[in-house]
Order: sequence, then C-alpha cells, then structure tokens
Amino acid sequence: MKITINGNTIIAEPGITILEAARRSEIQIPTLCHVDGKNSEIPCELCCVEVAGREGLVRSCDTPITEGMEITTESKALLDHRKKRLARLAETHFGDCKAPCNITCPGQINVQGYIAHVAKGEYEEAVRLVMERNPFPFSVGRVCPRFCETRCRRILVDEPVSINHLKRFVGDWCMTNKIDLKIPTEPRTGKRIAVIGGGPAGLTGAFYLARKGHDVTVFEAAPKLGGMLRYGIPEYKVPKDVLDYEINTILQVGISVRLGQNWGKNFTLQSLRDQGYDATLIAIGAPVDQPLEIPGANLPSVIPASKFLRAVNTEQIGICGRRAAVIGGNNIAMEAARSLIRLGVADVTIIHPRPKTEMSANQRSIRQAAGEGVQFLLMASPVNITQTAQGLDMELMRMKLGEPDDKGLRQPEAIPGSSNILQVDTIVTSLGQMSCDGTIYGGELEATLELTPANNIKANPRTSLTNHAGIYAAGDVTSGTRSVIQTVVAARRAAENIHLQVMGSGKDAGEGRFNFSRGRTFDDVDLRNFEGIKVKLREKMPTRSPEICSQDFDEIKTGFSEKMARREAQRCLSCGCTAFDRCDLKRLSIDHGIDPNKTGMGTKPLYAKDLRHPLIAVDLNKCIYCQRCLNSCKYDALELSAESYDEQGRPLGIKLVFNDKCVNCGACVDNCSTGALNKKDCLVPIVNEEVRQVRSTCPYCGAGCQILLKVKGNTLMEVSSEPDLAPNYGALCVKGRFGHKFVQHRDRLTRPLIRRAGQLVPTTWEEALNEVAKRFFDLKAQYGPDSIAGFSCARATNEENYLMQKFMRTAIGTNNIDHCARL
Amino acid sequence: MTNSIADAKDGKTDLFLMIGSNPDTSHPTIGLRIHQAVDRGAKLIVVDPRRTRLAERADLWLRIKPGTDVAFLNGLMQIIIEEKLWDQQFVAERTEDFDYLCSVIKRYPPPLVAEITGIPEEQLYQCARMYAAQGRHAIYHGMGITHYVTGTDRVKSIANLAMLCGKVGVEGGGCNPLRGQNNVQGACDMGALFNSLPGYGGLNSDEMFKRYEDAWKVTLPRRPGKPATEVWDNVLKGEIRGLYIFGEDPAVADPNIAHVQKALEKADFVVVQDIFLTDTAKAADVVLPAACYAEKDGTFACTERRVQRVRKAVEPPGEARPDWQIFCELSRKMGYEMKYNSAQEIFEEICSLLPQYKGITYARLDKEGLQWPVPDENHPGTPTLHTKTFTRGKGLFVPEDYLPPVELPCEEYPLSFTTGRDLARYNFSSMTGKTPEIDLISPECFAEVNPVDAERLGLKEKDWVRLTSRRGSVAMRATITDKSQEGTIFATYNHLATLVNLLTLDALDRLSRSPEYKLCAIKVEVLPGRPS
Repeated sequence: MKITINGNTIIAEPGITILEAARRSEIQIPTLCHVDGKNSEIPCELCCVEVAGREGLVRSCDTPITEGMEITTESKALLDHRKKRLARLAETHFGDCKAPCNITCPGQINVQGYIAHVAKGEYEEAVRLVMERNPFPFSVGRVCPRFCETRCRRILVDEPVSINHLKRFVGDWCMTNKIDLKIPTEPRTGKRIAVIGGGPAGLTGAFYLARKGHDVTVFEAAPKLGGMLRYGIPEYKVPKDVLDYEINTILQVGISVRLGQNWGKNFTLQSLRDQGYDATLIAIGAPVDQPLEIPGANLPSVIPASKFLRAVNTEQIGICGRRAAVIGGNNIAMEAARSLIRLGVADVTIIHPRPKTEMSANQRSIRQAAGEGVQFLLMASPVNITQTAQGLDMELMRMKLGEPDDKGLRQPEAIPGSSNILQVDTIVTSLGQMSCDGTIYGGELEATLELTPANNIKANPRTSLTNHAGIYAAGDVTSGTRSVIQTVVAARRAAENIHLQVMGSGKDAGEGRFNFSRGRTFDDVDLRNFEGIKVKLREKMPTRSPEICSQDFDEIKTGFSEKMARREAQRCLSCGCTAFDRCDLKRLSIDHGIDPNKTGMGTKPLYAKDLRHPLIAVDLNKCIYCQRCLNSCKYDALELSAESYDEQGRPLGIKLVFNDKCVNCGACVDNCSTGALNKKDCLVPIVNEEVRQVRSTCPYCGAGCQILLKVKGNTLMEVSSEPDLAPNYGALCVKGRFGHKFVQHRDRLTRPLIRRAGQLVPTTWEEALNEVAKRFFDLKAQYGPDSIAGFSCARATNEENYLMQKFMRTAIGTNNIDHCARL
Repeated sequence: MTNSIADAKDGKTDLFLMIGSNPDTSHPTIGLRIHQAVDRGAKLIVVDPRRTRLAERADLWLRIKPGTDVAFLNGLMQIIIEEKLWDQQFVAERTEDFDYLCSVIKRYPPPLVAEITGIPEEQLYQCARMYAAQGRHAIYHGMGITHYVTGTDRVKSIANLAMLCGKVGVEGGGCNPLRGQNNVQGACDMGALFNSLPGYGGLNSDEMFKRYEDAWKVTLPRRPGKPATEVWDNVLKGEIRGLYIFGEDPAVADPNIAHVQKALEKADFVVVQDIFLTDTAKAADVVLPAACYAEKDGTFACTERRVQRVRKAVEPPGEARPDWQIFCELSRKMGYEMKYNSAQEIFEEICSLLPQYKGITYARLDKEGLQWPVPDENHPGTPTLHTKTFTRGKGLFVPEDYLPPVELPCEEYPLSFTTGRDLARYNFSSMTGKTPEIDLISPECFAEVNPVDAERLGLKEKDWVRLTSRRGSVAMRATITDKSQEGTIFATYNHLATLVNLLTLDALDRLSRSPEYKLCAIKVEVLPGRPS
C-alpha cells in the first residue's frame, strides 16, 4: 500500500496504523502511551498527525493507513497541540528529577548516585562516579564547604546526610584497599594540550582533557604537584599521603608532567605554541599575596600567608616564638593560625577589622580555630609594625563599621585615638590572593594578556578563553581564591571547551536546567513527603579532640568506618528520580521546549509510595496514566484504575495493584513512561554519566533470551531487553531481568586457592596452575590418562566447552569428559 | 528443538502436546508464548501428573501416573493405528521399520494403558485423535521425560509418535525438548560428551577422528570415556583418581549426593573452576576463580539451536579469568600448546571443524543469533529441522517396551516423590540466591501434598515434615494442594537449605546415563516443629 509521510512516498503493509508505518520507515512520531499496539484509555494524543482531506488532528496510533493517505507529522499546529498535551500531563506530575544536593553542588556531582553506591557497597563505583565531575574526591571530601548538605531534604526530617564524609569514605576505602579504578579514556586524538600549573585547577583540566584522548602535559614550577592542596592546606586537613595517592590516581589516565618549570623563565605561551600545543590552559591559581601596605610590612618576621603555609607544609618553618598574630579573616588565615598553634606558639591572635560573622572564612573553620585556642581580636586593624629587641610591636587601631555605602556595605573605619600596641614574635598576613602583581612575565603574549582589576587573568566565564586564541584560563587564576570544588568545576568546564575547540566540534550543548521539583525551597516542600520516615540522626565523624589534635599536624577527622558509611548512606531519601535516564515525559518535554516551571507541575504528594511488591517501587505521584504498565503486562497481573476524572479528563484517585498472577517479570517497569514504577534495586540515578548498553544472552535456562546489560563504569546497573530480537522478542522472566546480582557479589572467587595443611588458602595463578599440571601429569604417568575425568559446564560458552573437551582429549588424552546434559 | 520458539509466537502451531514440561517455571518466556498461542485459539494437551498452570487451561489434561510415559505413548500410537489416523504418505516416504513399530505397540491396548497410566481410556482416544488430526502439531517435552532410567525410551517414543503422524519437518510441528541450561545445547555441540567429538560423531567414526587429529595435531584417544553420572562409582572403585570440575556443583546437584560427597573425599586430586566457592569447590585441592557470563566474550547455543553472542560488559573480580584463558595456560603447562588471543579465534576454529557451525561468524551474530545447521556464510540458518530428510536419511522407528519406574512405592516408602523448578530460582541458587529480592519472592520450598494424602498423614497446612527415601532424608514445610496427584509429593529442588537430592535416585538410563531424578519412593513424617 502506498502512502506519503511528510511528502515521502512509502510502501507500507496494509492494515497497520500510521504510527507503525512511520516507525518502520524510521520516522519518529512522539507518543507517551502506546505500547504493544495498545494505548491508554485516556490517549496521550502526542502521536496526532495531520491527514490530507481530514478535519482536525488524527491519532496515528489507532488510525490504520489507507491507500494514498497523505500524512504530515510535523507542523506548527501539531507542535502547539503536543506542547499543550505535554503541559497538561506535566501539571499533575509530582517529583524531583534531580535531587537538590545534585543541583546545589557547584560541580553538579551526582550526589544521590554516589550515596546509593555506598548504600549498596559499591565503593569503587562511587569514586568513579564522583570522578566523572571531580577528580579530587579525597581532598574535596576533606575540605569542601558542602553546599549540597545545606539543601539536603533530610533537614526537614532530622539532619542532612553527611554527604561529604561519604565522599571521603569511598576515596579512603579505595586507597586502603589499593583499588585500581581503571578510569576509561577515549581513543587518542593526537591533539596536544599544555596546562600551566599542577594544582587542583591544572590537574582537573589535565584529567578531563586526557580522558578525552588528548596528549596533556602539565608544567609545574614546584618540585611536586598539588598546588595549594600540597603547599597551602596543612596536613591536619589533607594528609600528604592521601594527596599523593589522589594525584597518582589522576595521573593514571595518562598525563605528562614537567616539574620545576617556571612560566616566563623556562617557557612562555609563545614557546608552547611553537612546540605544537594545540591549546594552553593557564591554571596557576592565585599564588601572589595581597601586600600589607603599612610601615614595617616587609620586616623578616612579617610573613605572607602563602609563604608561611608553604614553609609549614614543606617542614622548613623557622622558630615562630611564643606569640603570633595573623592578619586577615579568610580561610587561609584560619589555617595559618591553626598551624601556628601546632608549631607550639602559645598565643595566636587573629586580627580582623570586622565582626566574626563578617569574616570570609568558613564558620566551621572559625569555630575549629577557636576550639584549638586561637584568639580573635576583632574590630581592629594594624597601622604600623616596628621591630624591637623583644620582637615586633604592632600598632592597632580600634575599628567601627561606618555608614552603609552605595551598595549598602558598611566599611570599617578607624576610631580616632584608639591605638594600642600588640607585642608579638611573628606576624602572618593573609589579606587575600591574586594571580599576579599586575604583570605576567614572559613574552609578547604574556604582556598582552588581559587582566581584571583584581590582578587576575580575564577569561570568558562561559568558554574560559582569554583574549588570546587557544589560550584558556580557569580556576583561582581568574577568580581569586575559591573553594577547591569551585576551582575544579571551572577547570572541568574549561577542559570541555578546549576539547570542543581543538576537535572543531562546535558549541557545548550545556547542561539542561529542565527539572521537576517537589519544592525549590524548604518552605515549598510539603511535609507529607516525609510521612513514615523515622528520625535517624546522622553519623558523627570520629574526630580527635581539639586539645589533643592541636598538638600535632596529624589529621583531625579520622573518617567513617564502613558500617558507619553504610548506615549514613541509608539515610538518603533518594529524592532524585531513578528513572532520570529513561523518562519519556522528560525527554519529550525537553524536545518540545516545555519548562514545567512555567507551565506548572504537581505541588504536593497525593499518594504514599507503595513498596509492597518485592521488586518494584510504585510512586503514583509521578504517574501520567499512560497505562503502558497495564498494556505491557502479558500476565494480566496489573490492575490500574482511577476513581474519577478532573475537568481536563485527567485521572484522580489512581489505584495500581499487582494481583496474584504477577510473575515478577518486570516488563511493566521497563515500559513505564516516567518514574512511577521503579526497580527497587536501581537506586543510582543516571544523570549525565555515560552508560554502556551491552547486548548479551541470559545465563539461566535454555530459552536463550536476549538481554541488554546497562553498565556504568564497571558496575552492572540493570538488565532489560529489546523488543525486536529473537528468540524472546523483549520478554524476560524474573531471573532474566532481576537475577544478576551474583555477577558482582562479594562471594565471588577472586583469587586461586590451594589446599595447604587441610585448608584452602589463597595463592598465585602460577602456583595454582603448576600444582594442577603437576598432579595431573603424575596421575597420568602413574595410572594412565583415563584416571582423570573432566566435567564441563553447560553454563559456560561454546568456546570454553570446546577448549575443555579439547584439553581433556589432547593434553590429558582421555574421553572422560562430560557435562550435566543428562542431569 | 527440531523447530523454533517463534512457531508458538507467530501462530504457526495449531496444537501443543506438552509432556513432562512445565515451561511456566522452567522456561518462562517460552511458556508465555504457549499461553499467548492458546489465547489466540491454539489447542493444548497437557500430559502431567501435576496440575500446572497450563494443565488448568488445557483442552485436555491427562493426569498421568509418574514414570509411565512409554506405555502412554505406545498406547497412543496403538489407537492411531487402530483408527487409521496415521500419516500414511509420510510413513511410506520418510520412515523405516514401521512394521516393527506396529509389532511392539500392539502390546499396548487402551485398557492396559489406562490401567498403567491412570488415564481414562476415553481421554487416551481423545488425545490420539486430536494429535493425529490434520494440522501443525508440536510436541514439547522437558526433564519430566528425560530424568528417568527410561528417559531415552521416552524420547524415542515421542519421535515415533511424531513421525507416525507426519508432524516432523514442518513449521509449527516437531519434537521440541526444552533444554535446561543456557548452553547445554552448545556444550553438547562442542563435544563435551564422553561419547562424541565436537559436532556429534561417535568415537568409531574414522573420518571424524582424522579431521580432529589433523586439526589438533595429536593422536586422540578412542577408548570410550565415562559419563559424568558414572564418575562417582569409578572414583570409589579407584579407577578415576583426578577430577577437573569446571562450573558444576555435583556435591549438591547430582542425585544421591551423599554418594558424590564420599567420592569427592576419596579422589586423589580435585580441581574446581568456578565463580563461587561451591560445596564441590570446598572439597577441592585447587580452586580456580573464573569470569562469569558478563565478564567475557563468547557464544551460547539455546534450546532452538540458536547460537548467540555473550559479550564482556564488566571486568572480572580480582584475579578471576575467563575460563578459556585458564584452559590455554594449563594446557601449555601440560605440554600441549593451545594459543588463542580471543574467544573469537576459538570460535573460528570451531566453525572450521563443525559442519553445523560452518557458516557462522561473530560478524553474522552481531545483531541476532543463527540457528544451526548453517552450512555456509550465506545460509540464513535453519528454523526447522528435517524438512526434506532426516540426518540419517529415513526416519527409523525405534519402539521400546514400557518398563516400570525403578523405585515404586512399597509398604515402608509408600509415597512417590518428584521434583521441579521454582520460577524465581535456578538450580541450587548459587546465582539467583545472590539477589535478595528473590529470597523474598521464594523464601523456601514446600512439599506439595495432595489433600487426601494430607488427611491420611494428619498433616496441616505449613506443618514441618521429614521426607525420607532409602538414601537420605530432608525436612521442609508442607503445603496442601491438589496440584499434586494423590500418592505423589512434589518439591522444587532450588533451595540450598533443602537439598532434595539427598532423596533422589542415582539409577541411570542405559543409553544416555541420565539419572531417575523425577521419581523415587519416600515416607513422610509430620514433625512437631522446625527440626533443629
């Protein structure tokens, strides 16, 4: 039968529907409710098309084709209609696409995902998931300001999940267990990228560029990599062995490193270009201290913070005396003060011209510093330092906050005549960091590199491109000091842009902001969401007491035990939708430019979650009544009904019941158009990570069902099937869809075992195989080859069965080979 | 299977005759297609002592006494001949020894068969007429046929029946054994058999020996090997001293496992290559950790002879290795070089040697599998076997007489015991038991007792019982159901906590050497509570 679709003539089988005819011609018509030739009793109507000679729109899913039919699948009217339908469905859809923690994280890390991995004991995969977006889980897990935890919905129940401690736990677990993370890299591109700076920004950029297959070389001025993490953050926060392991893990993706290379001295931007680097990323951080501009600031015992911390971290610090002052209220000032305490300085005072609440340092750090005995002299500012025989005399003025300026900020002002003298032995100044002192040394390119008024390098915030082609800058070098995670994000984005540029592959699509939400602020979130959730306070991080830990540079927080981590991970409320990667409502809404923030979405839960089915979790708040679950069930096992309908024709009072005909095959879940049905075990939402789909054959019975393994990193996430493949054409049983946890079960044999003194003990492959070869050889020599019998395996592959019998018939020389065919 | 699973799905089969097979639990996706075919109007005959889901909806359900299938099949053929319902043209053109068949089956008149099988005469006639009628009629059978000492007799009798009625070699018809394990077909194809080289050649075929000796550059042994089921006796006799057990757990899976465990202890040297530390592995001298299906490349051949790909999706845990690499390394150490760089290279060797696999390549299997025989690279595969001729030319009728089951109920062991598979579990749960949700779905196995027997035993629902055979005993809870025939107790064999193979019988079929798993005599004792 001849028809035309969008002007193309198509020969189609008579009797089929327009939708089927289009599908067979690989013309996409959107639909939300159609499955197995059936649609919802309230059709989604997204599949509507125009048919020449017919009034109005026609549903393609239940309209058979007729000879000469002229069909249009795309038009303004159809688009408007589909948008209207999608918006209407979205209005009652209630749930979170992404969890608030994920959205709040500057790195957009799939927080819920790695917590779920922890809950399942998949620590290695948790680290790989973090490293998709942050290559520094060990350090960030120790120093992150934890933006995510401030938005954790668990706050509405009791306390937020200790997200950051979990990140640290999985990193440390991998380090303790010497896990090779086997981070995959893409095929080589042949492009060369230079990265200036081997701190968090530089290494992040290098890591993501190397994963993309580029040849990356990091140029670092210091003798070791790590930047501020090594030379700025003291050991009691990030131990050096942890940092070494972390950096080593990053380098394993294949990054060249050149240490002791000073920019402007050993190389210039031009020399890098001349050496054939396709792009350069400047990531030197903000190494230059803001100077203290008062008399006496250059005295030898007045030390800029970065110099001081570098000396502390390289154990080259001299004697600091009994009394010290730290000028500044930022995070670095806190670390300087706490280091001074650990160096045995009896009186350490932080001097700041504003009140404590207006210090830029993290309040947690301020509290810890105070706990360790650091004193605070607030509303004071130094005006003069003089060297005396006893040490330093620092003249301070008392300050007050002036009237609000144009921006409403109250600047501190000196109170006239309020001066007094503080006697100290050492002063550390921490007034902020910048990328340079106003000049970048090197050649022509350096001299013309555009700077910001704060002496940072100016780079396009979206592309990270500087004013020179092919030269990018990211991290503190462009922004001044920020948290490690913010630096990491900036460098990762720069890497993505460099990749696109060197590959000539156009603009980054960017990350969609599409999101259904159960409430953007805590006030918006309906407390009925949490009914039935029992209070369970967070695990306390084991911490050395301030009195003890302030006496040495050992780490303060000793980390969660495995049990604590598992318990803490189980507190996660799993806000984000675990159907994120398969939701058709989301996919079609994005395709049609629907923004539920504008068109409306559900605002309160109408249904309690139903967890009665052994394998399937039901959340009817997300149900759009497409009835694909019902229509895909081959066993009549699902009862889905609505009590009534609203004026728009949408169902109210939805009921979904699995009856006793249910054989747990799970076809309904794999056909759900949203996250209303979910596999209970699939706790890890797949947000933006790459997932591999591997086709295989079910390892259970002889039916030979074709299965599709969804794999992330090295973890088998889920098993489903494809509808068009023989012999099962999409059908699976409970084992085929759910029975694959044995693959990555802890009881798997991981090492050869050999019996020694009556016990099976681990051994090497070499020893195990030598033993087998020797013993078989001896038996064969003594009793003949027929004294050995082999059992082959009806679960293993043809190739392996073939080799097993070949081995028995050749290497052993017997026909004593059989398998369980008769069993 | 002579035919394809798709026959059921695509409406090519007009009638299903199911004997000793419960695909709803053993081959669920095939069971589904049969249900769907019946929904669409296909006829269904179920021959099963148990009231299965298919039995409940069958046009005809013959509740046969366990172990009497040969008598039943012979009786059916006798009626077909008596009523002249057989396919005279097919028999004349395609078969041999029809007269011999007639001479044997005439010893099975319907009244006698009704008495042996417990199936009313009238139902025997109905069944014979329905099956022999015009149409595409398929026989499906499972382990309920083969797991008997007379297993091969039954399979031959099924073939006799299908040939007699001309139901072989046509789409939608055939004899369709549903094979148990994912690659039991392939393991047979590959010659992991004591009596056959790869590609099904007896040990007396000079041509095959030459082919393999040339390819493998070695003189091959022609002495007959020992079947797996006879290994244990031979170990206890001291004939066999070394065991290489690859991916099997006979310490729980074989019949009469107490006997197996004794043999494992006696053997001089036992190597187990597996993915878990099974009970068999615990008794080994060396245990080699293997990669599982998701960690390696290769192929499986399923019950419809379809060769399909298995692909590496994740890395094996720790130092575990794909089995093929272990064989290569071990063989090298034993002085016989086997060198392959990939599973694909092995497959290429297989296809160069096996006529059935000749036209198969990994490239051709990329999207969908192929059903052997595939004689050349352009051949589309063979969904239906024997359409023009049988492998040996003409189909040979091999009638067999009925032999009663080995162990019939007696005064001391008054009940029959039979086993089957639980839908959610697979064999002894070494794999399915690692998915906690499956434990929720199927937490334990029950002895299924007919209400009449329950009353006689004074048994209440969910009471604990101890089942005892001449070989051992096992305790479980009981459920009272008319799914079980009076006099027969059924239990699934998939729970490691309830090793029903302590009861089962290790008597063997004289040809295939399959054990009589499906029937033994037991006594039942009701316990006051869970035994300690």
